Amino acid sequence: MDARSKLKGWLISPASFIALCICVALATVLQYSVRAFIPGSLDVGGLTLANFTGLTKPIYLEAFVNTLRLSVETTIFSILVAYPLAYALVRVRNRFFKSFILIVSITPLFLGEIVRTYSWIIVLGNNGFINTVLRKLGIIDQPLALMFTHLGVLVALVHVTIPVVVLMLATAISHIDRDYEKAAESLGAGPVRTFLTVTLPLSMPGILASVTTSFAWTFSAFATPQMIGGGRVPTVSTLVYQLGFASMNFPLAASLSIVGLALTAVALMLLGQVTRRMKAFGGH
Amino acid sequence: MIKKLLSVGHWVDASVGGSVIASVAMSVALSAGALFATAAQAQDALVVSTWGGSFRDLIDETISKEFTKQTGVPVKYITGGTIDRLNKAKLAGKPESDITFTTSHIGWLYVNSNLYEKLDTSKIPNYSHLVDRAKISPYHIGSWAYVYTIGYRPDLVPANIKFDSWNDLWNPELKGKLSAPDFDPSHIIDIAAILSGGDASTWQKGEAKLKALKPNFKAYYTNDANSQQLIASGETPVQVLLSMNAYYMIGQGVPIKVAMPKEGAVLGVDTMAIMKGSPRADLAYKFINIALSPEVQSKIVAAKKASPVIDDAKVSAEDAALPGVFTTKQQWDTQAIVIDDKLRAEKTAEWRKWFTENMMN
Repeated sequence: MDARSKLKGWLISPASFIALCICVALATVLQYSVRAFIPGSLDVGGLTLANFTGLTKPIYLEAFVNTLRLSVETTIFSILVAYPLAYALVRVRNRFFKSFILIVSITPLFLGEIVRTYSWIIVLGNNGFINTVLRKLGIIDQPLALMFTHLGVLVALVHVTIPVVVLMLATAISHIDRDYEKAAESLGAGPVRTFLTVTLPLSMPGILASVTTSFAWTFSAFATPQMIGGGRVPTVSTLVYQLGFASMNFPLAASLSIVGLALTAVALMLLGQVTRRMKAFGGH
Repeated sequence: MIKKLLSVGHWVDASVGGSVIASVAMSVALSAGALFATAAQAQDALVVSTWGGSFRDLIDETISKEFTKQTGVPVKYITGGTIDRLNKAKLAGKPESDITFTTSHIGWLYVNSNLYEKLDTSKIPNYSHLVDRAKISPYHIGSWAYVYTIGYRPDLVPANIKFDSWNDLWNPELKGKLSAPDFDPSHIIDIAAILSGGDASTWQKGEAKLKALKPNFKAYYTNDANSQQLIASGETPVQVLLSMNAYYMIGQGVPIKVAMPKEGAVLGVDTMAIMKGSPRADLAYKFINIALSPEVQSKIVAAKKASPVIDDAKVSAEDAALPGVFTTKQQWDTQAIVIDDKLRAEKTAEWRKWFTENMMN
């Protein structure tokens, strides 16, 4: 074995080990999903498909719909908010302003999901920042219901996702050759037209990468929907937790996980197809 | 797509394969080495499995301190969530801990999985003072007790609201003000069954009653910290909550009132047991005996406002007057609503599933 092969072996060994662990864990989850639940025991019974047929109940369908909806909405709003931030981060020349944008957009990444979620509880609560300000301004009499609602979960998820999307978009925008934009301007295109016809299409790889990451990230989000949703906004991950760790019904929790995983795979495959089509259409 | 995923490995030729296997084996060996090192560190200490945070601190500052003082043996901890620790114990070939603290009905899952040692009560002299409700099984016994009851913020509910009975929770004036634990709905399920003429074993009798409570629920809390946050912030000014949590919050200055409804409050008992195959069983018995000593039980009550599980603990008059702190046989008999632990262990999943499907949407 030559030194290069040996080096390759060392380099891929951590990835192989992690892949092996994930495969074993997935196989275990799959195995649990087709086994019968025995009340009062952690042992499981014989083979059954009852766990999957049980998922047709309204609460589970609602969880799938909620999860998909939150994933799509979070992706859209994260990109809408993050794009101007990323654009400014790359294009602004003033160092102080650049640092300010960087701190505002990236700092939440260092706080951790739990801390950020708790902060949103303080902001969205009945006596939180938003309701207090609106009440003091005389806009509302009664506090708006923001906590334990779909809207509240969405706002917090968007905040959790924005830093990652900003970084991905900023990378994509920084790779755009400014000469293309200058060429468009020299041919008479205004700033809006230049942005829509040159900058935006050229930043599409970053947008597509952000869509995929944001979608997958939100689909598996747990702490935010669990804490901001307060049990009133069921998602796949919160139900898996409740069924598995509160009810100890691992077979049903496993079947829910498997269906959730399949749904994510289908969604990401569709996104992959869209990406390929856009590239074929002439994207950057 | 699968093809794409596989294609990334095309350069992994046969010559690399052996190296990969060797490297993976090395990684496994290193991980295993780290685990053995941890186990070796615990060799000379009594190992206690418990929840983290304030419960670990409570055990450390009361029982373990006295245990180490008397025996010279230090105590080490394995901390984690209730179900995480149960799973770990089930998967481990040898017991990772000598003693396990867990809730009484979860203790039955350990018993059913043959993880506990049958207790030789002759080795626990203080067992003679153990109250009946804390004698959970021949394998696990109570360490302290508490209740799940109604706690509320008088400053945030209508002035006429009182909780003389659990029925008062159904008051329409409490619409959107209530929360309860999402991890264990057994308390409110049992209460609804009792108010509908049934009990835990005939819990279906309370289904309609429980569904009628749905408009009053604003949220369901995930853990003790979440419960505390929701009542402290006033988001849910009425809660079905752990009495010890309520008293902790009161100590922090949150104006909470703890009710003792005429039907009583739902009893909870945290238990301790010796793990089957523990190499330090004799020390474990000493630890349990110390946990049941009047001095240690008094300290636990003073620290957590829990109920002592022995009949000779010294409790201050102030603590004894608190709702949910049981110090007399009459209180244990008349104020504690008891859900049979074995039934609860068997029914928890069914109750939880029903609650998720019918209440949490």
